[in-house]
Amino acid sequence: MVQTTPMNKSLAPTPEEHVTESLDLEVASQWKLMWWKFRKHKMAIIGTVIVIIYYTMGMFAEFFAPTHFTTYNEQYVYAPPQTIHLFRDGKLDPYVNGYTFVRDPISFKKTWAVDETVVVPISFLVRSEEYKLWGFIPGSLHLVAADNPRDPFYLLGSDKSGRDVFGRIIYSARVSLTVGLVGVALSLILGIMIGGVSGLIGGWLDNVIQRLIEIIMSIPTLPLWLALAAVVPLDWQPLQVYFMITVILSLVGWTGMARVVRSKFLALREEDFILAATLDGVPRGRMIMRHMVPSFLSHIIASITLSIPGMILGETALSFLGLGLRPPVVSWGVMLQETQKVAVLAISPWLLYPAVAVIIVVLALNFMGDGLRDAADPYQ
Amino acid sequence: MWKYLLRRTGYMVFTVWVISVISFVVIQLPPGDYVTNLINQMISAGGEALPSDYEMQLREVYGLNDPMYVQYFKWISRIITKGEFGYSLVYKRDAAELITERLPMTFALSFGSFLFVWAVAFPIGVYSAVKKYSLGDYVFTFIGFIGLAVPNFLLALIFLFLSYRYFDQAMIGLFSLEFADAPWSWPKFMDLLKHLWIPVILIGMGGTAGLIRTMRANLLDELNKPYVETARSKGLTELKLLMKYPVRHALNPFVSTIGWTLPGLIGGEVIVSIVLNLPTSGPVLYNALRSQDMYVAAGFILLLSTLTVIGTFVSDILLAVLDPRIRLE
Amino acid sequence: MDNTLIDVKDLKVHFFTDEGVVRAVDGVDLKLERGRTLSLVGESGCGKSVACRALMQIVRNPGKVVAGEILYNRGAEGGQAEIIDIAKMDPKGKEIRDIRGKEISMIFQEPMTSLSPMYTVGNQIIENILLHTNLTKEQARDLAIKLLDQVGIPRADRLVDEYPFRLSGGMRQRSMIAMALSCNPNLLIADEPTTALDVTTQANILDLMSDLQKSYNMTLLFITHDLGVVAEIADEVAVMYLGKIVEKSDVYTIFNSPRHPYTQALLKSIPKIAIKREDLDPIKGMVPNPFRRPGGCPFHPRCPQAFAECKVLVPTTTQLTPNHSVQCLLYENFANRIATEQKQ
Repeated sequence: MVQTTPMNKSLAPTPEEHVTESLDLEVASQWKLMWWKFRKHKMAIIGTVIVIIYYTMGMFAEFFAPTHFTTYNEQYVYAPPQTIHLFRDGKLDPYVNGYTFVRDPISFKKTWAVDETVVVPISFLVRSEEYKLWGFIPGSLHLVAADNPRDPFYLLGSDKSGRDVFGRIIYSARVSLTVGLVGVALSLILGIMIGGVSGLIGGWLDNVIQRLIEIIMSIPTLPLWLALAAVVPLDWQPLQVYFMITVILSLVGWTGMARVVRSKFLALREEDFILAATLDGVPRGRMIMRHMVPSFLSHIIASITLSIPGMILGETALSFLGLGLRPPVVSWGVMLQETQKVAVLAISPWLLYPAVAVIIVVLALNFMGDGLRDAADPYQ
Repeated sequence: MWKYLLRRTGYMVFTVWVISVISFVVIQLPPGDYVTNLINQMISAGGEALPSDYEMQLREVYGLNDPMYVQYFKWISRIITKGEFGYSLVYKRDAAELITERLPMTFALSFGSFLFVWAVAFPIGVYSAVKKYSLGDYVFTFIGFIGLAVPNFLLALIFLFLSYRYFDQAMIGLFSLEFADAPWSWPKFMDLLKHLWIPVILIGMGGTAGLIRTMRANLLDELNKPYVETARSKGLTELKLLMKYPVRHALNPFVSTIGWTLPGLIGGEVIVSIVLNLPTSGPVLYNALRSQDMYVAAGFILLLSTLTVIGTFVSDILLAVLDPRIRLE
Repeated sequence: MDNTLIDVKDLKVHFFTDEGVVRAVDGVDLKLERGRTLSLVGESGCGKSVACRALMQIVRNPGKVVAGEILYNRGAEGGQAEIIDIAKMDPKGKEIRDIRGKEISMIFQEPMTSLSPMYTVGNQIIENILLHTNLTKEQARDLAIKLLDQVGIPRADRLVDEYPFRLSGGMRQRSMIAMALSCNPNLLIADEPTTALDVTTQANILDLMSDLQKSYNMTLLFITHDLGVVAEIADEVAVMYLGKIVEKSDVYTIFNSPRHPYTQALLKSIPKIAIKREDLDPIKGMVPNPFRRPGGCPFHPRCPQAFAECKVLVPTTTQLTPNHSVQCLLYENFANRIATEQKQ
């Protein structure tokens, strides 16, 4: 017999105990229930961890990157990736191999190849190139760096100016990831305001806003992005361009958010507890902030997580086409610009590593968002 | 039914109008106007200094001194009545010519991608829903996530790299060399079909992934509806039952997805064509935007958007045909 | 002469979920007599719907018939007995599919959603006829119109081509009944067919069902939580609580001298016009969480007459009279059971 309620256990509880036990389950807070539900999604947890790692690395890029993203070495152009060797002669003494010239058998061009005989000693948690964290905190500690800064140390290869692709990917994370955040924040503000008005006031205004959203959604996003980005003046400061790009991305992106907010407001208007609060004479402002917003906050968080990837991909696409961020600013899209020339790409495929970085973080954000969306309705 | 169609037609016309206004705004956005650009070009082409009132005259000729709404009206009525989209300073040709040359290819590619997306997403979505949590479901879900995370221009890049490295270069592009400039003929058409599938897959990947998820979710919803139980209690076989009831029901929301997959597909077509340099509107639009050749750019944006709006309208009609609840409203 | 149509013996239907096993039907014995109406009564979640779906093998995933027998005599009345065990059949197999919709048919609670809005009423009735008979499409259509007429649908020849969402709830339920009767079944299972309808429509549908039951001479298994409906339609009554039949008898005995404390409580909780509201006596507590079923008698936490042994001993069936049985320790001589079960 399947023993879900073993005999001996059933001797103990009295009816009263049963009641308190089930009450326990009911008083667990909404957030706690969501966490329980979220925890069950393994992929969502993995995604969250990856996202946290990305943002941490972007935040402390100066520490995680071996060199600054502008540091170049004209000697080592398009050098291939190296691998870290932890042990030398049986002792813990990390190093990478240096480079040697080879002639490409097809193009007869001189290219670099990893030379197993050359040893470039490296160290972990070492003081190396000086930097100013976030532009004002001076420091020189790096997670890993070559012992001699002039030595080539390119974990993911180098680009056309002999800059470290690995370090630049980390610095790019700072730019690309915050474009996502700022863009989402902007579309969230627009979305909540417009969607809120639409859902709360309703009537003809709701109708007009809904038509507007439909129209915006029916325009192919990319050509519109391109058109808007193309008119950003060429002489603008990097920061201005950065802000313009996020504005452009969110001008198109707010519609989805507005729809979520509106549908939640509409659904909530019908809920009994809102009716009860209305009958109790709760003022409108308090009603929205105290009763309505908390009950759909979780959905908003899930939608935010799911719309960040779109922003990241949008920025990457624009910058890749040369219509988004511009050098010297470095983002994944800016890095990928170099791959536009097939001939370059063919001999230095490691220039595609920024794409790998994009794909991983977008996947992670999607998994995380999916988990959050499922958890947003803990009572289901 | 007729009321519904009438309303939908009204929406479509209104939407196209708003899009035309947006496109017109795009023309106006860059600093300077057509005449400034024209004069700049003349000067850089080595022309001598122009008389100072020449610029004024030109403005008068092109009607740039008129109020904005008059300019918009002239622009849009020329498009509607004569099919004139303005003059391209970069290509030194009528924008309309460029558009008629490139747009059909864009249409072919987008439509092909759309068919691909549907043909793939529908059966896989059904399979994933019916065999929920099976190995196949997990595999497709995973592929779906990848398809969602890898934007199509990256896919195109990776493909470009692989084909450069390992395959035949001739696979890129829409035609073989001998057909590229040849007039249209049956062999040229067959040649196009032979080349079309690569960009079609590259463009359709992301949309397919999204649509599989939609179809799976729709069908999972339908599988638990009481009418399925009714049908089962009649003694239908599982397959017949599945096809006649839940799949048929899930088809309705699936049809209405045309509306939101089309903008994505056309956007994807543009960027994939830019990366692969295909003879469609993508590269021309791109060049126009980079050199601020705004009449060409606006023309393309207007027509590409109109294309998606028409697609949405078609999906609305299809929906009415498929769903008696809408038809008999 | 044995007049049993279906004999259910110790039927168990379990649901295998991620959180654990739910024993939705946990050892049910039932006898369905030809031409009679048995009403299965209980609160929502007691397993009555699952039990009747098991009779047609249409229990939803992740539910499974794990034990017991459903012995169905498909032979003609008074003729040679031809007994088959439905519990042993493959839910997707041809054997059971030939029985469904033909020999046993079912109508459901939600007339709004039990018919597909994509097809006309006629289409969905004709589908059933074509599936189980050799009639042509035209003949099937004529039969469908005749059936619709019989269940009291006006202008049946026109409504046959109407979509369900254009009909009222009552009309839809009538169409469902027409569909269920289309192949002249031996057993009609009705799962709360009137719950979603308003009171006057309820009465009409009930009248229709008892009329049709007589004219078709079929067995009716009527599931409800509404004791008013039971009084109107049932010959026999079985009261179900947490997957078990706790009391079973003819309708007069159940209403006049209920023995199980749960049946007594159910009857006391019916509002009657003559009684003041305050005197209404709801059953205390709620139906327990399916994963945390109480040990011993499943009703003991809510039972006003529970005593110490109720927490430990699962009551067995006690036959009070030949047609009145009850599962309650109040009526069971359990003294010797304590000794044996404590030893285990």
